[in-house]
Amino acid sequence: MRLYDIVVLLTPDLSEDEAAKLTADYRKILTDGGAELVRDESWGRRKLAYSIERKRDAYYHHFQVRSEPAAVAETERRLKLSDQVLRHLAVRADEELKRAAKAAERQKKKAARRPPRPMPAPAPEAAGTAPAERSE
Amino acid sequence: MAAMPQRGGSRDRDGKTGGRKKFFVRRRKVCKFCAEKLEYVDWKDVKLLQSFIPERGKILPRRISGTCALHQRKLQTAIKRARSIALLPYVTD
Repeated sequence: MRLYDIVVLLTPDLSEDEAAKLTADYRKILTDGGAELVRDESWGRRKLAYSIERKRDAYYHHFQVRSEPAAVAETERRLKLSDQVLRHLAVRADEELKRAAKAAERQKKKAARRPPRPMPAPAPEAAGTAPAERSE
Repeated sequence: MAAMPQRGGSRDRDGKTGGRKKFFVRRRKVCKFCAEKLEYVDWKDVKLLQSFIPERGKILPRRISGTCALHQRKLQTAIKRARSIALLPYVTD
């Protein structure tokens, strides 16, 4: 089981309800494939940073799922086929999150350790030349 | 013997009055992600990423933002992902 982030952009030509219906379809494809929804949130209608297919905004929906790769692959295939979907992005998240957690752990451990006080090493008395120089 | 420290002192004064050196106290740049202990750079967090996108839409270089190498790399992929789904622009003019 892997953790995936999937963001889907739907055409603004759809009504609010139609968009919700379409996302429900994709939700069903995911869950039918054995995916477990961790996060499922609509970002609503958002302005695009650049126009896609002459459209200036789109309905964004974000799924975070714990799933086998096959279910995500199938969903992606369907996303690619649909004309209603302007863009989509499916990215594996678990490895990066794990690495981040590890780094955080390391940092915590480092903070727990008391920082060693910087102690200047006692300078050994210079013998020979210095006193000789001082005496004129 | 006594001349040596004196000369050093006068050079110091020179530095203060006419020298161009050390006139600006440069603020030390700190990696934002290290400072706030953000290990995971979320590509969905537009507000965060936007702070590393200057007007032209380019990725702010490390030399300016002060981000550490590790986090700059993560930031880079995050920005590129965000661009692909039109959360951020590729170019703006």
